[in-house]
Amino acid sequence: MNKRIGRLGVVFGILYLILFAQLNRVQFFGAERLRENPINTRGLIREFGQERGPILAADAVVVARSIPSSGSFDNIREYPEGELFAHVVGYQSLNVGATGLERQYNDELAGSSIDQQVRSLGDLFRHRDTTATLNLTIRADVQRVARDALGEQRGSVVALDPRTGAVLALWTWPTFDPNPLAAADGASANQAYEDLLADPANPLLAKSFRELFFPGSTFKLITATAALTTGRVTATSPVLPDSDSYQPIPAGRPIANFAGATCGGNLVEILTVSCNTAFAEIGAEWVGPDSMITTAERYGFNDAPPIDLPAAAESRFPTEYGNRLADVQFYRADEVNEEANQEANQGVDPPELPNGDVGVYEDTARLSQVSIGQNDVAASPLQMAMVAAAIANDGVLMSPYVVSNLAAADGEIYSSADPEIWRVVSSRAIAQTMRDAMVNVAESGTARRLAIPGLVVGGKTGTAQLGTSPPNSHAWVVGFAGQPGGASEVAVAVIVEAQDGASEQTGGRVAAPIARAVIEAVMGVS
Amino acid sequence: MILVGRMRRAWRAVDPAGLGRIRPEIAALRPRRVELGLIAMVGLVFIFALASLSGTSTLPSTLGPFLAWMLVLLVVAHVVTRRFAPAADPVLLPMALFLNGIGYVMIARLTGDVDGGSDLAGLQAIWTAVGIAAFTMTLILIPRTRILARYRYLLGLVGVSLLALPLVPGVGRSINGARIWASVGPVNFQPGEFAKIALAAFFAAYLVDSRELLRSRIELRDLAPILLAWGVSLAIMTFEKDLGSSLLFFALFVVVLWIASERAVFLTIGSALFAGGALMAWSTFDHVQQRVDIWLDPWADPRDAGFQIVEASFALADGGLTGTGLGRGEPGRVPFAETDFIFAAIGEELGLAGSVAVLMSFLVLVGSGLRIALRARGGFEKLFAVGLTTLLGIQAFVIMGGVLRVVPLTGITLPFVSYGGSSLVSNYVLLALLMRMSHEQRTVAPGDRP
Repeated sequence: MNKRIGRLGVVFGILYLILFAQLNRVQFFGAERLRENPINTRGLIREFGQERGPILAADAVVVARSIPSSGSFDNIREYPEGELFAHVVGYQSLNVGATGLERQYNDELAGSSIDQQVRSLGDLFRHRDTTATLNLTIRADVQRVARDALGEQRGSVVALDPRTGAVLALWTWPTFDPNPLAAADGASANQAYEDLLADPANPLLAKSFRELFFPGSTFKLITATAALTTGRVTATSPVLPDSDSYQPIPAGRPIANFAGATCGGNLVEILTVSCNTAFAEIGAEWVGPDSMITTAERYGFNDAPPIDLPAAAESRFPTEYGNRLADVQFYRADEVNEEANQEANQGVDPPELPNGDVGVYEDTARLSQVSIGQNDVAASPLQMAMVAAAIANDGVLMSPYVVSNLAAADGEIYSSADPEIWRVVSSRAIAQTMRDAMVNVAESGTARRLAIPGLVVGGKTGTAQLGTSPPNSHAWVVGFAGQPGGASEVAVAVIVEAQDGASEQTGGRVAAPIARAVIEAVMGVS
Repeated sequence: MILVGRMRRAWRAVDPAGLGRIRPEIAALRPRRVELGLIAMVGLVFIFALASLSGTSTLPSTLGPFLAWMLVLLVVAHVVTRRFAPAADPVLLPMALFLNGIGYVMIARLTGDVDGGSDLAGLQAIWTAVGIAAFTMTLILIPRTRILARYRYLLGLVGVSLLALPLVPGVGRSINGARIWASVGPVNFQPGEFAKIALAAFFAAYLVDSRELLRSRIELRDLAPILLAWGVSLAIMTFEKDLGSSLLFFALFVVVLWIASERAVFLTIGSALFAGGALMAWSTFDHVQQRVDIWLDPWADPRDAGFQIVEASFALADGGLTGTGLGRGEPGRVPFAETDFIFAAIGEELGLAGSVAVLMSFLVLVGSGLRIALRARGGFEKLFAVGLTTLLGIQAFVIMGGVLRVVPLTGITLPFVSYGGSSLVSNYVLLALLMRMSHEQRTVAPGDRP
């Protein structure tokens, strides 16, 4: 009988070997395929229900947290501040996915980044909270001021710390409440999402950094910077004659000032009154396409800002102006002052290219228009805040960021944002000239409503005309503020979309008070 | 009273219950020292696993006392063996305790995650105690395996009666579609779990008698027993809708018959009868057809019919090599995770490492069982050891294979691991019988020639 018992042993061996092989197939070799099977909702539900670290504003206000749930999921995500941080933090939804920081920092919040896993290797059997706390640079108090000041007007508010690039406020109205989207009840979450999608005002879109608008006269800051970098233009010369109309070269519709006004003067003067005719001439005849393009791109146009939020919009500056017309050239070509150019661009790498002359191109007329922020130029509110920030920070443009640091559950900070220089836009001297000019605009120009007693405030308004019947425009203001004798501590950009009226005063009247409120909140004055 | 007196005498005796002297070539109590070491390891693994569970909030607050209780049972089981089967194979008990422990940990972890599972861990701790008690009683009451051969027909009758018990009106109960439960007073149990042991003893004793006949020739009437077994199997399937027991019962008979007769022809006949029965069942019963359909393609209806199998494969895939970690998976998503599908729960949270450990433990148990059969001196012991080992090995294979979709799913428990009193108690009895036989091989019984 023993021979048969031995055979029985072999049979059992084979049977268990089959089980062993199948176990390996299911748990190892074919496991990936099973995990990715569309019917398999385990991964989704686990990810949605797992505990995530909280997200805190710079002033320690909790803007997102996981709360234990007794339903189908272990945890659900709650946004105690509702809409206030919706466009920054985004949401984590089972049905419609994740957006904003919830998406960008998914691994860290969930505690599944390589770094966090390595840190928790030591406790294989102890359940340790590996989730990270996300600390923002945005201040909830400033954000609330921006919300209240803008009110129920379509528009955006961006505030940055020019010295570091830290975002202090990032607000757009209309917005949405992320809580219904994060609900455990899939059907109601879906319905909330459908409703938001169907809303023509598109509240889901964070227009502050994901939408482009005509920048209007705020773009003159870029034209002025470009003019200074050529070395041909200084704060005091040339002095352009007063004019109420500029005839583009070689041909085109004449460019007029708001309300048919007559203006002229040196660079500071024309910036103060936001003189269209003078800037159209400066851009086309004194700067030329190469320098305009270079300067605009140094400020960040034609590139996405390196912000740590998904899908930031790339602001647009036209780069095509047709062929150069060989037989025509601006008479100022021989007035290039090589020495002045080098001095103006000290410390900028690479230094501005002094090509000696400014030619006339088939589309130079278009250059006149973009020089005053019309035609094809388009910028996000974040981009315009970055322009003000670069000027306020001695020509050095910092990379904007919203996440200040990541802290482990035990409070230990393990990853901090290092302020990084993104671009050197201009020399310190040019930035200083621009800064002074903007202070002048706030003291005696179109941005008077921005001025705050006791602070050094600079600004520039803009009114981007959308139509004339009825008159309709975006009201803009950009600016900065700091203590007298100190560095600027805040740069802002405010746009209020599609306002009635189209006078140069619109930006100063509508947008400046909002910017002023935000500056006061940041600086702690009232 | 007789029982109590017998137990008392057994405990006090120098040579307890006439169990015989350990053979000189086996150093006294050496197997027990090995066993103690293995049990200590099992206990450590058990404590470690349960401690790791405490990080999650899924555990009942009464777990501490249960943990102590389970550790006491480990020690009791060892002391009992020391006393009543000191020379027995040292691997069997630790393996069973390991499986029992890993199952208990999973059941404790599933408490609260499965329907009506609020008190599973507590009940399983009680069942384990009853199982160890049954193990002890078996070792005490059956000092010599051969005693069982004497009662062969009684055991056969008891086995068949137990099998048929669920069909008795007023006693039998149908739970989850299978009529395999019996209620006697307040006690619910699955008589089939005990029937299988009685029948293994009966088959062994009966076939050892007719062995010479079976070996020499085959006449038509020699086929009567196998046909009878086949008929009873079919009856279980038809009336109790219990595919698992039916298969187990028939496999037991065919294997013991084959070993006894040493004729492969019985294996062929058995396979043919099995195939015929399977075909018949498939064409007659909807539930059999459905099981086979699910086995062939669970993805055809993954949300309903194939749900359990599909979810089990997702659970196992989630586990990967090292598992999600205890308390961190979702084994409760698989229906019957605490009983039939506990293997999937282990694979999910303890990974391939855990599922292979369970698989290997069963293989070690089967190996040890067959080694006992090989060494057995008497024909009855040989066949009985083969029968018990086959029961254990086939039952574990059928349910693990069912979960893994190697064979069609039949709802039976994973021995020692699944939640359930009947299964746990009967398998401890089975284990005690194997250990009794192992002890006998290693001792010189009074009256045996040296």
